[in-house]
Amino acid sequence: MTARAAWLALCLLIGAVQVHAAADPGGYSAADLYNLGNSYARMGKPGMAILNYERARLLSANDPDIEANLQYVRNSAHLTAEKRGTFDRIARIASPFLLSWLGALGLGVIGASLIGAQFSPRHRLLRASAVLLGLSMLGLTICNGLAIWPVLHEGVVIAAAAPVRVSPVPMGDPLFTLPEGETVKIAAEHESFALIETRAGRTGWVAHSNLAPILPRK
Amino acid sequence: MSGYIRFFRLMTAVVMGAFFAAAAAWADDPLVYATIQPAQIALGESAQFTITNLGDGTNPITLPVVSGLKFEIIGRTREMQIINGTMLPSSSIVMRVTPQIAGIFTIPAVTPKAQPLVLQVTAAPGGTSLAQAAPRAPLPPPILSGGSIPKGVHLTEDGSAYVRLSIPKREVYVGESVPVDIEVGMRSGFVSSLNGLPKLTDDNFALNNLSHQPERAEKLINGEQFVVFTWRSILAVVKPGTFALSAEAPLTVKIRTRPRRESALDDRFGDPFWQNLFGATVPKDINVTSPPQELKVLELPAEGRPADFHGAIGTFSIASDVSPAKADVGDPLTLRMRITGSGNFDRVDSAMLDRVDQWKTYPPKSSFNTSDPIGFSGMKTFEQPVIASKPGAQELPGLSFSYFDPNARRYETARSAPLSVSISPSLADSVAPPQAAGGAGPENGYAPGLRPDHADTTTRSSSLMPPYLQPRFLGIPSIIVLAFAAGWAGARRRRPLRESEPADRPSSRAAKRVLAQMQAAARAGNAAVFFDLARAALQPWLAARWQIEPDEVTTAEVEARVGTQNDIHQLFALADESKYSGRELRATDFAQWLRVVRQVLTNESST
Repeated sequence: MTARAAWLALCLLIGAVQVHAAADPGGYSAADLYNLGNSYARMGKPGMAILNYERARLLSANDPDIEANLQYVRNSAHLTAEKRGTFDRIARIASPFLLSWLGALGLGVIGASLIGAQFSPRHRLLRASAVLLGLSMLGLTICNGLAIWPVLHEGVVIAAAAPVRVSPVPMGDPLFTLPEGETVKIAAEHESFALIETRAGRTGWVAHSNLAPILPRK
Repeated sequence: MSGYIRFFRLMTAVVMGAFFAAAAAWADDPLVYATIQPAQIALGESAQFTITNLGDGTNPITLPVVSGLKFEIIGRTREMQIINGTMLPSSSIVMRVTPQIAGIFTIPAVTPKAQPLVLQVTAAPGGTSLAQAAPRAPLPPPILSGGSIPKGVHLTEDGSAYVRLSIPKREVYVGESVPVDIEVGMRSGFVSSLNGLPKLTDDNFALNNLSHQPERAEKLINGEQFVVFTWRSILAVVKPGTFALSAEAPLTVKIRTRPRRESALDDRFGDPFWQNLFGATVPKDINVTSPPQELKVLELPAEGRPADFHGAIGTFSIASDVSPAKADVGDPLTLRMRITGSGNFDRVDSAMLDRVDQWKTYPPKSSFNTSDPIGFSGMKTFEQPVIASKPGAQELPGLSFSYFDPNARRYETARSAPLSVSISPSLADSVAPPQAAGGAGPENGYAPGLRPDHADTTTRSSSLMPPYLQPRFLGIPSIIVLAFAAGWAGARRRRPLRESEPADRPSSRAAKRVLAQMQAAARAGNAAVFFDLARAALQPWLAARWQIEPDEVTTAEVEARVGTQNDIHQLFALADESKYSGRELRATDFAQWLRVVRQVLTNESST
């Protein structure tokens, strides 16, 4: 009975994946965004190129071409190289799309194992292994979320020299300027300005027209 | 220069001769005496009071104290004098006597034997006198007598200075700015210093933007040389009415200590050297005031006042522009309005655009570039950041500015034309650039190091947001969790039938022991013991299920609850039968009943 329930859950998941994947054929794809980044790089727009590489990396985390071109444009624009830690590499071992379903499957495995234990005390080792596997799958999804969460709140400077102002108004006194392609953390937004924080910890307000969030605005 | 020297020698000879001539007469006089020169002065002038002590200087000298007179020691001298052929040492104390009021003053004698002195002080024009009845001394002749004086120039009585206030109009409006000139003329050598900026005598007016560095010029007024300082300023009117307005300036002038007729020679030379040489002048602080001018201040008319009138009075014109004329959505544009003209620019204000559809507007800021030193005329520029919210050809409405024209005596509203702007979609929000999507853009320095494009074979996603953060996707794991939770809860609901009272259920060890005893009884062929053990094992289990005491689980009770066809009822019946009848069973019967009991005790039976 446990095996039948697990099989049914797996079939449901696969069906849902297929339905979800086919839901929006006109959306984003990693290849499109990567090619778009290449196009902007060829046009001499490092800011837009980096933005699209970052967006492509959200869909295809470990694509070596995306990584290579992103670092190449960063270096060419004399921007600080981005260093990825071990946790980030492991957490982004697969795309968030795949890891989402992996997490759901992990939930199913854990649930099936727990229910099976209610019906039969036999096969304890098998059930424990299944729970551990499910927890691993779920944990990987959670780690992916933790690794991606900061990226979802970052933006890329797309203007040649974006003035960072002391207040969210166009006539606010400029504090400093950001180079094109710089990636900054978006802490808050007010009307047509975003409160940013650089990697050096400096903060200020940048006009939306000068800054594009990695996760596109609705 | 030779004339000066001859005059000096002449005066020295006169003084020495006077001393020698008086020596014979003063030989018997007291050794201490005082003199005052001149004995009659005008208020504002000073006299010289000298106490001379002939001899060894042991005679006590008391400085005089007179109410209304101010004594200041200005010098001490020590010399030898020959009186009646006798050389006597003498010492003198020279004091300046300055009257505070007009009148006749008696200065007490410096020694008991000496005579008191009298000083007569005549009143200045318009001043008060303690001795009104006293005959007034004739005023010294004016320096600038005869000849023409420029219009508006009213010299002080001694002709040393003047202040002139120039106002271009006689009727002004409340709040209007009127450029004025204040001219302070000081006759060369007669004015020591200018002690402050000129100011108005009426508190209903204010001088704005008064320059700290006036224009300096030299003029000949009535044949005398004057240094003229001119301040330019803006006259601000506070309240309506008719006023007599004048300006004043604080000066320090040199006051003659001798009658003017005696110092006419100094005036003639036009050089205070001679006065200073003989101690004939003292400095005095005075305020020089200009002749009053009548000024009529009118209220602004309430009729026809525009709603956006902020108090600007003058003559103005406006122009507007926006830059850049082409921009992307979200790019800030600068809308400018330039107001040019003359008037009270401090009241020239505009809110620019407030709320415009498809535009985000911000408060404007202003700057003023004046074309004159006092800020009366120039250009005020208002800059307002505006941001287009939608792409396409947009239009910014025309701007307006209302003011009051004092020349036309009515309110005016200046308007500018609407401005057209072309707004493109924002680059940040565009998914694909039209020209570059296919990689056909112009090559640049980035191109050589790029890895080639990818073929689009990957799956598409409706959003870059990871699915596990999308509400639509989160429904799936939620359903899974709920389904498994429901299944788990259902399974748990079934467990209490077996586990709710674990103390009443035979443990596996006890069941095994009972089964082992039953097996032993079966092997011995003792049916009575076998069924007795079986009944004793089942009674607690059934009692727990039926919520009764184990002793109440009898054959009749079992029959009543499960019927006669049930294995348990048959087992209870066989137990009674074997107990009283000594019935023998076959080995297969023992095995069958043993299986039944095992199934019940190990919960594998569905009873």
